[in-house]
Amino acid sequence: MIDVKNISKTFKSHSTEVKALVNVTAKVDKGEVVVVLGPSGSGKSTFIRCLNYLNVADEGSIVIDGIDILDPKTDINKVRAEVGMVFQSFNLFPHKTVLENVILAPIVVRKKSKEEAKKKGMELLEKVGILDKADVYPDQLSGGQQQRVAIARALAMEPKVMLFDEPTSALDPEMVGEVLDVMKNLAREGMTMVVVSHEMGFAREVADRVIFMDDGAVVEVGTPEHFFTNPTHERTKLFLSQIL
Amino acid sequence: MGSSLTHKGLKHDNIYYFWVVVFFIIMTGIVLAIYFSALQIDYTWRWYRIPRYFAYQEQIETKSEIDGEVQSISKKGKDAVVLVKGLEGTESYAVRASALRVEEGDQIYYGDPLASYKKWRVGILLEGLWLTLKVSVIAIIFGIAIGLFAGLARISSNPALKWSAITYIEMIRGSPLLVQIFIWYFVLGTLFNNILANHGISQISALWFGVAALASFTGAYVAEMVRAGIQSIHRGQTEAARSLGMTYVKSMRHVILPQALRRILPPLAGQFISLIKDSSLLGIIAVRELTKATREVVTTSLQPFELWFVCALLYLVLTFSLSMLLQYLERRQLVV
Repeated sequence: MIDVKNISKTFKSHSTEVKALVNVTAKVDKGEVVVVLGPSGSGKSTFIRCLNYLNVADEGSIVIDGIDILDPKTDINKVRAEVGMVFQSFNLFPHKTVLENVILAPIVVRKKSKEEAKKKGMELLEKVGILDKADVYPDQLSGGQQQRVAIARALAMEPKVMLFDEPTSALDPEMVGEVLDVMKNLAREGMTMVVVSHEMGFAREVADRVIFMDDGAVVEVGTPEHFFTNPTHERTKLFLSQIL
Repeated sequence: MGSSLTHKGLKHDNIYYFWVVVFFIIMTGIVLAIYFSALQIDYTWRWYRIPRYFAYQEQIETKSEIDGEVQSISKKGKDAVVLVKGLEGTESYAVRASALRVEEGDQIYYGDPLASYKKWRVGILLEGLWLTLKVSVIAIIFGIAIGLFAGLARISSNPALKWSAITYIEMIRGSPLLVQIFIWYFVLGTLFNNILANHGISQISALWFGVAALASFTGAYVAEMVRAGIQSIHRGQTEAARSLGMTYVKSMRHVILPQALRRILPPLAGQFISLIKDSSLLGIIAVRELTKATREVVTTSLQPFELWFVCALLYLVLTFSLSMLLQYLERRQLVV
């Protein structure tokens, strides 16, 4: 489903150069849940943002569902429509109601009729447990509710892959659970997911594979069992000792 | 909340009412000062002469063109036909039945009115007010369109678009509107109309060059507001829209611009109010808007004091209505 080969990314400003990704190679199969772990600044957010072209990799290749997204001839909007993204800061559209947030892209991108989009939108809101808030504006919702709306908004495009960029990092602790529950349900239904997260419990319980990154490079890849109980690299051991 | 804090202890005090009275004394003082100064130069106030410049009744008469006698009057609903029999023949006049001034058998001489009625006409001040409103509305609409386009071009990464926008904005904002009106009318206007004349196409009137000057002037300021408005919207909004597969145009249209326009509504209102007032400059290229109309009436009526106050009041009505309208829009969006 996702095939990343040797991508690198360097952020340049006037005086400094930051190597965010160095020769990263990774693979995500259909129906697989991959959790990307790593300390802050390890490049995991840059990695997931490269997957739908919000950051552009300098070199290497990224193939999603058979389409090379770094090829200049690729219509990136078509690829993005198939790849859902959930952000750390929700990024809901504040001038639209919850339901309008969910149905906007299906109507303007997929050209669905309003009735059809609404029907599907209501189903999704029910699925993430905020059907009763369909007609309120995002600023009246709690962080956890907003993030669940953001998930519903991404799902409304019926994506083949879902990318989660630290979906629970901006939430108050008591709201983390409700968002993770939605994500677990999604994983159970067989959605292909790439999740950048600090939630070790989620990684352990849901992930098929864990990718550990540090300093812009992939250090270790393995099943959660292997990763949490028997890591090979020193850097991984240090990381786990710091957070567990 | 802020005002109740600053006026704490002042609101229900006698001191508060004292300053209210002071306010009214100042206002009355200014009015009286003008009035008594006018007396010093023997100015006669004639307010009763003012309404006729808004609307007046015109006498419309049908006159006989021969001497003779009214032979017959045949009425048919609202219309009537008067037959006048003279020495050299008979003349017939179609008039309004209600306006008839003669009866059958009346002796008529040349030039006598057979029928007369009064008709309301729009006065020159009202015509001027209408033209000011028309010019302003058209210039605002074009100003928004130009500003939106130039604002988007200003933040584009394409150097042709970006530098064109910067050049346009800096040139407009760096020169007086009066000079720009002269350039539009005397330079561009001459060029356009000569080219049109060479191709046998009818000329463009001064009004449209005036509108163009105001619209391009406003557009430059609107462009800077649009740019600031768009840049004030968090980057995450664009990313969310684009990650859903929206193109640049769609994300602008549905996500960024609606939020940006909401934020820049207050400064836009100020700009449009300025535009209404600046339209008074168009008189210099012979567009008879409100100020030019007032100047013309002043030269014929010789009542400058009343007329200039009325003129200012009419502008106030326009600008105040516009600011009320935009405040209403702003409030409605806050609730939404």
